[in-house]
Amino acid sequence: MKLSGSSKSSPNKKQPVGLHVWRDTPAAGGWNMAADEALARRSEETNRVLMRLYGWHPHTVSLGSFQRCVDFSETPEVSHWPVVRRPSGGGAIIHGTDLTYGLAVPGSHDWSRGTEKLYAAVHGALVEELSVRHLRARMVEATSRETEQSFYCFNRRAFGDLVIEDASGTSPHGNHKILGSSQRRLSGVVLQHGSLLLHRNPHIQGEGSHIGLGDVLQAGSGSVNDVVDGWLQRLADRLNGDLITETGPSYEKENDEIARRTERYESVAWLHRR
Amino acid sequence: MEKSRRYAKSHEWARLEDDGSVTVGISAYAVEALTDLVFMQLPDVGATVTAGESFGEIESVKAVSDLYAPISGKVVAANTELPSQLETLGSDPYGSGWVIRIQPDSVEQLEALMNQEAYDELIGG
Repeated sequence: MKLSGSSKSSPNKKQPVGLHVWRDTPAAGGWNMAADEALARRSEETNRVLMRLYGWHPHTVSLGSFQRCVDFSETPEVSHWPVVRRPSGGGAIIHGTDLTYGLAVPGSHDWSRGTEKLYAAVHGALVEELSVRHLRARMVEATSRETEQSFYCFNRRAFGDLVIEDASGTSPHGNHKILGSSQRRLSGVVLQHGSLLLHRNPHIQGEGSHIGLGDVLQAGSGSVNDVVDGWLQRLADRLNGDLITETGPSYEKENDEIARRTERYESVAWLHRR
Repeated sequence: MEKSRRYAKSHEWARLEDDGSVTVGISAYAVEALTDLVFMQLPDVGATVTAGESFGEIESVKAVSDLYAPISGKVVAANTELPSQLETLGSDPYGSGWVIRIQPDSVEQLEALMNQEAYDELIGG
């Protein structure tokens, strides 16, 4: 397995600096997964840290790479929703009122070595940004065995998850998880997926219902967009370079390749692999 | 051919057995680095594997990684008990934590892999 994300082509490459970011328009699940995979391949080819931020249309449930499909079909509140299986691991996410990111880090960068560095960098940058906005956020220090098998990602508590203090006393965990991520370690590049909950989804009740960042930001602390902008700038700072906001869609040059990859992600065989 | 373990850069180990098959597993270093393993997918017996290409996947709490075949050949056995006993990978990675056995296209492929000394150097041991 690729612990470092390194490949034969990467040992002599210089560690990249700066962060290139695209803000893509909402797309369907299969397309989003395919576009992230294409982003990862481009990251390896260009030796750059690349990130795309996106939404989902239609609203969709994504399953972790090895979650059982039957667990989805037996969850009544979402079993009628569109569904896609991610290449990355973790639990199910209800997409619609979240901001999803795909971050690709080439094997030449130190962040690709081991799973924990990348979590610490990405989630740590958001903890910093939230702290200056008077939100008590932290990263979970150890994985909770009790929550490991929960169907929903946001009901799990694993190392690196970003949680905020439960001021309302409504969470059985004593905190609210608002950012969860998972990685797919490919040859020459690491793709990290993550979901930042922005607001509680009004269409979901019960175990799948979670508060988002916008629900807990206090007056005078800025908007959700302000937080995201600050987070990205801190991430670029940690990469010792500029935040480069790209215009147009991230996948402009790879439409044909993404269409081919989309077919796989939309296939019954992929969805029912487990 | 020496029957000690050989290693791929991707941290899989390979050992030639008396019957000419090659046992493949994951190094103790890699198992420790992955931490908190939750799922493993193995190939079917009879499947063909190619050196350097994925033959299975392993999921930890925070990452999914491919397992890469250290040599080419046909899978003649898979440790089907392993996915339900992933702790074995950590407790006995070179024994009962074996992953698959391959009938190699040629045993000379093992020469291209690292010996223990070279692997120790790779992982900084």
